[in-house]
Amino acid sequence: MSPFRRLWNVVRRRELDRALQDEVETHLALIEEEARASGKSDDAARQHARLRFGSPVAHREQALDGVIATWVESTWKEIGFAARRLVRSPAFTIAAVLTLALAIGANAAIFAVVERVLLNPLSYPDSDRLVTLDHGAMVFNLPQGMGITRGYYYLYRERAHSLESLALYAGETATLTGTGEPERIGLTRATPSLASVMRVRPVMGRWFTEDEGRPGAPPRVVLSHGFWMRRFGGDPHVLGRTVALSGVSHEVIGVMPASFDFPDSRTEAWAALQVTRTMGFGIWVYNGVARLRDAVSVADARTEMNRLIPDVTNAFPGDPFAIGNSTMLKAVAATRTLKNAMIGDVATGLWIVLAAVSLVLLVACANVANLFLVRSEVRQREVSVRRALGAGRGGIAKYFLAESVLLSAAGSVLGLAIAWAAVQTLVAAGPTTLPRLREIQLDRVSIAYTAAMGLLTAVLFGAVPLIRPDRFATTLNDSARGNTAGRSRHRMRRVLMAGQVALALMLLIASGLMVRSFQKMRNVDPGFNPTSVMTLNVALPASAYKTRDTAFIAQHSILDRLTTLPGVLSAASSTGLPFSPGGFGNTVFVQDRPRDLNVVPPAAIFQAVSERFFETMGIRLLRGRTLTHDDVENRQQVAVISDALATRLFPREDPMGRYIVSAAPPAQPGGPPAPEPLRIVGIVANTVTRTLTEEPGSIIYMPMSIAAGPDIPQSALVGPDISTMYFVLRTAVDPASLSASIRRAVDAIDPKLAIAQARTLQSLVDRASAQMAFTMVLIGIAACVALALGIVGIYGVMSYIVSQRKGEIGVRLALGAEPGTVAAMILRQGSVVTGAGAAVGLVTALAGTRLIASLLYGVSPRDPMVFTATTALILAVAALACWLPARSAARLSPLEALRVE
Amino acid sequence: MPKHTNDRLQGTLDLLILKVLDRAGAQHGYGIAQRIHQATSDSLRIEEGSLYPALQRMTHEKWLKAQWGTTDSGRKARFYTITAAGRRQLEEEEQRWLALTDAVNKALKFA
Repeated sequence: MSPFRRLWNVVRRRELDRALQDEVETHLALIEEEARASGKSDDAARQHARLRFGSPVAHREQALDGVIATWVESTWKEIGFAARRLVRSPAFTIAAVLTLALAIGANAAIFAVVERVLLNPLSYPDSDRLVTLDHGAMVFNLPQGMGITRGYYYLYRERAHSLESLALYAGETATLTGTGEPERIGLTRATPSLASVMRVRPVMGRWFTEDEGRPGAPPRVVLSHGFWMRRFGGDPHVLGRTVALSGVSHEVIGVMPASFDFPDSRTEAWAALQVTRTMGFGIWVYNGVARLRDAVSVADARTEMNRLIPDVTNAFPGDPFAIGNSTMLKAVAATRTLKNAMIGDVATGLWIVLAAVSLVLLVACANVANLFLVRSEVRQREVSVRRALGAGRGGIAKYFLAESVLLSAAGSVLGLAIAWAAVQTLVAAGPTTLPRLREIQLDRVSIAYTAAMGLLTAVLFGAVPLIRPDRFATTLNDSARGNTAGRSRHRMRRVLMAGQVALALMLLIASGLMVRSFQKMRNVDPGFNPTSVMTLNVALPASAYKTRDTAFIAQHSILDRLTTLPGVLSAASSTGLPFSPGGFGNTVFVQDRPRDLNVVPPAAIFQAVSERFFETMGIRLLRGRTLTHDDVENRQQVAVISDALATRLFPREDPMGRYIVSAAPPAQPGGPPAPEPLRIVGIVANTVTRTLTEEPGSIIYMPMSIAAGPDIPQSALVGPDISTMYFVLRTAVDPASLSASIRRAVDAIDPKLAIAQARTLQSLVDRASAQMAFTMVLIGIAACVALALGIVGIYGVMSYIVSQRKGEIGVRLALGAEPGTVAAMILRQGSVVTGAGAAVGLVTALAGTRLIASLLYGVSPRDPMVFTATTALILAVAALACWLPARSAARLSPLEALRVE
Repeated sequence: MPKHTNDRLQGTLDLLILKVLDRAGAQHGYGIAQRIHQATSDSLRIEEGSLYPALQRMTHEKWLKAQWGTTDSGRKARFYTITAAGRRQLEEEEQRWLALTDAVNKALKFA
């Protein structure tokens, strides 16, 4: 009876019991018959039967327990035997357990990441119903990422049936003062509807009321759990206290649960976004999130929103922004699930890494299966003896499965330890773009997954020696003499060896493509010189710096202080930096050129900068001049533009001396003035904007003195608000050593100002490639492990084949074969197998690398160089792994070889 | 594979069952009980129900093979036959039994 059959017996206890009951009843009936035949009455006969038989129930129970106990007992014994056998061959056991632990550990760790980041990225109730309210504009070639305006928010709120509730929010940084050193914190302003959209409640206090979302309501703030713990030490009496945020006191009204970190983990507090419908359509400065009604799909919602979008001019009659957006921008809804929006880019990379470690697990299984095959050959005698003593196929299967289960259990336990360490490292080193990165841990689901993986591997490699069970039918006689094994006996081993080569090659190709992409990415000319540059950000609270001119004076005084610091070669300020392009973008027109309303003018990022900005950043000047002290000090209406913008705006003309102007509706009486035209005085090299791989952005650099400020609203569209500015310092010393003197320099202007994002420009560049580096390193590690396991596997198989053929080789050598010929024979045998494996790997990779195309940059998924180099590498390494056993075969002395018999 | 060599009483029952089946061919539980009674001239009384745990266990040890069939009186019953492994076990048990009774006899004589 097979072990499965026995296990089945445990399960179908009831059925067994019924069969027994039939049997017992027959027995009782037969005794009764006998008794009646000897003249007893029916009653007496029944009594007699009971007496002779004993209690039917008790005996039945005992019989059943016997069956089940026997199974458990014999299985337990088999495991005990297996443990003893494994302890007796420590080399095999250690090799197998380590191999499995490595592969299972890698799988468990990556699964823990996948489980948290991809499968459960959001910790909100019914989070699959949450969608972003995003828009795109094909005229800018922007399919998504524009966010939302007040106009569309109110439009959807009033007319969209597919949305149950919706909220607007916008992130900012606020300076916290009053307690200890000033600090910049992430503040998210959101409409009070956010809590009901997300279905979360504060753990303490309350969330904002609808009234608090109206302009003029007293400022209140809700704290994140982390911020409450960090800054207030988890003070239970924090409610009612006031904190100064950017110079405005806010009353603390609530603390959110630790799991709530919307929209991202940088958010430390929430304030009410104070907007009303009467404020008009507005501009694209908000993000939106909504909850779908039941049974409404994302596609349904998008269709409805696209149908509503043209109605915005009716909903906001006469609003110039609504008209402008309808006629020119032609926005489209780009709504997608919040989950998708959060993990979009990360998902492919992580799935690929999970696939890679699964392949490693397969290679590990193949390796252990090979070790097992060797063992099963060596144990042929013992197996034959067992067989002769009457052990069935099931018994033999149990013999091997007991070992494989023990090995994979040990491998899983050790693997979990490895996974635990790996997860700690990943959490510490992983890119911050991974949502919920800090929450990744080996939880119950991951441990269950690991256990399942362990069991699966046990069956996978434990079953390999059983695939040809007739091998165990071989007689004792057959296994007594070690003749040269037939070709077919090595077939399984060869298949495993070829499989390992194929898998390792696939992983090598994938990691080769990643490495090439990474190189290409690091070789992208960022357009500036990132070495030895320190950057920092200072925000002036609007309560103390009420106008653009006061903000300009303060920012420029800080700049002057920083310029004179010892060790600083040059300093400048800007509202935007590469990878942090700042918050102002608009379409631009060329002055004195007829406006064709059917053609959408290009959009540009506006950056307000100080003099010496290009020199400090190391941005090359291509034509004309850079911005001078006079431009900045005397508010000259001039601009320097990036090469990309020059090409777009003036494909056939000379841009120098021409005027460009930010597109804006005609100035309203009493409202802010319309933007003034800027004269182009220079053209500079392109720089990266948000990512290294994006097309270079169109940038307008304007003197900071003519941009916007607290008294000039963003809707005036003249430029970015200079209340918040980055400072860049090119230094002769280690940039990090300057932090204390920077703090003192800022203190000298205003000790209430907080310094944020103090870091080197190089770290920004590194961070931009961190996501790719992360994926590359993980796939690289998987490929290296697969390669190492593959080498060990090939070497093991070839050595074993040589050792099995010692007798034959000895005869050949004794009959006069050249040692070289013998070595070549072994080598040829090995090469045929590895060659076949490599061919399979190549074909699979050619078909499969499409899958990782989206992770690559500047490299074709069939890059011939990567394919050639990795194939050559694996063939060379495989040849080396075959050559060592081949050499030892050639060095056999015929006498010694024949003595093995 | 458990052989229950330590449990004399159980071993004795096993031995008797194996012996009966070896001699008489396929038998159902009642038949085995009858033959044990006859062979021992009713001097060895066993509770017939205790046959069944033994039969179950021995079937799982592959000493016996069980097959459903009908009795002479047309009742459904399981018929047991001894297997090759069962014969080896019988031989072994017999040897052991003889060795033991021999030892006990000697001890009784000289004690």
